[in-house]
Amino acid sequence: MNLPITAFSPTRLRWPIGLGVIMAIGACASTPPAPTAALQAAQQAITVAERTDAGHYAPAELGEARSKLAAANAAVGGSHMVAAEHLAEQSQAEAELASAKTSAVKATAVNAELTQGNSTLVEEMDRSAGEKK
Amino acid sequence: MKTSKMGRTYARALITLVVAAAMVAGCSTTMVKPSGPTAARSKLTQLQSDPRLASRAPVAMKDAEVAVASAELPQRDAELAAHLNYIADRKVDTARELAETRYAEDQRLALRQQRDNVRLAARTREADAAISQAAAAQAEGASQKASADAARDDASLARSDAQQAHRDADQARDDASVAKAATANAEEQSAELLRQLDTLQAKMTDRGLVVTLGDVLFASGRAELRSSTNSHLDKLVAFLGKYPERSVTIEGHTDSVGSSQYNQDLSLRRANAVGAYLTSQGVVPGRIRTLGKGEAEPVAGNDSADGRQQNRRVEVIIGNQAVAQR
Repeated sequence: MNLPITAFSPTRLRWPIGLGVIMAIGACASTPPAPTAALQAAQQAITVAERTDAGHYAPAELGEARSKLAAANAAVGGSHMVAAEHLAEQSQAEAELASAKTSAVKATAVNAELTQGNSTLVEEMDRSAGEKK
Repeated sequence: MKTSKMGRTYARALITLVVAAAMVAGCSTTMVKPSGPTAARSKLTQLQSDPRLASRAPVAMKDAEVAVASAELPQRDAELAAHLNYIADRKVDTARELAETRYAEDQRLALRQQRDNVRLAARTREADAAISQAAAAQAEGASQKASADAARDDASLARSDAQQAHRDADQARDDASVAKAATANAEEQSAELLRQLDTLQAKMTDRGLVVTLGDVLFASGRAELRSSTNSHLDKLVAFLGKYPERSVTIEGHTDSVGSSQYNQDLSLRRANAVGAYLTSQGVVPGRIRTLGKGEAEPVAGNDSADGRQQNRRVEVIIGNQAVAQR
């Protein structure tokens, strides 16, 4: 009748305890901390884009960046931290694209103006030279 | 019994197959590359082979390269793969836009340089034109100087002319004031004349001023002036004396009593009597012309004493040139 006693010995109790510890760790892993840095970076990128007037020159990209950031914040609220981080990173990438596009459009416009001005200047010069002759 | 044993064997085989298939499927998903990154890769390759843009935004280009490479790595997690793909795509786009920006900025330098060149050329041309204009102006200036000298001579001539003109003007002014005084005087005289003619009861006619002297001058059938009427005649004498340039015509008229020949003769004698009186008072005889009209020009009916009295008259007609001027 020693069997029942040995069944409840400490060595027999190791399995359930180990299982509990693993489960506890697993629970912790499923709720990692919020991706604060990524969210801040995205917000920063959006602010920069807004300051360069991307709302005018790249409205689609800026709008996408904003909605991605909103989705990221929503994911944080639902404790989907991995998705939140991805969305935040996508938002930042989108905002940076908006800024880049804005600067390209502006630079191209300035060049077009300069080109136009130069050709006008040349025309004027030719005309005034023609008048003098 | 036999069928149940066979069925159990079949079920076991089926389970084994399903598990194997699942394992194979699981392996295949981890080994297959995500289809997305190839699109980002091809965009990146295109960008890197564009000579305009390839070297323009090196940092962004490097970022894009890293993002595409990490998206190309096989991923167990489909969501992560899609995420990396998304990031890679945006990084490549961003790199392109930044490269475009740099390219435009580099071009801008060239455009500014071009503008400066054009401006410089314009200014050079203007300066050249100004120089040639200056030369032309100088030549023109020389000829202008010559014409200016001529003009100066002309001017001195003109100045002496002007002085002469000034003197003439002064003279003219003096003349004008004299003329004005004369005019004022003439006007005064005319007014005086009219006043005197008024007292003579003169009438303005086509022939001139007509002063009618009634039959009170003479006795019936006689041609001698009555002395009582002389004051009336004296006014006429005074008037003629003031205006010596006027001619005087004296006409005698009678009524129809008596023969016309007699009346004709009587009227002439009466006119002559008046003329003689005027001459005796100093009127130049050359101004005076006398006519006998007889009974031919009555001014009223001869069928009444009153009418006949009006018809017996002497008319003195004063030439109207001076009066007509007014």
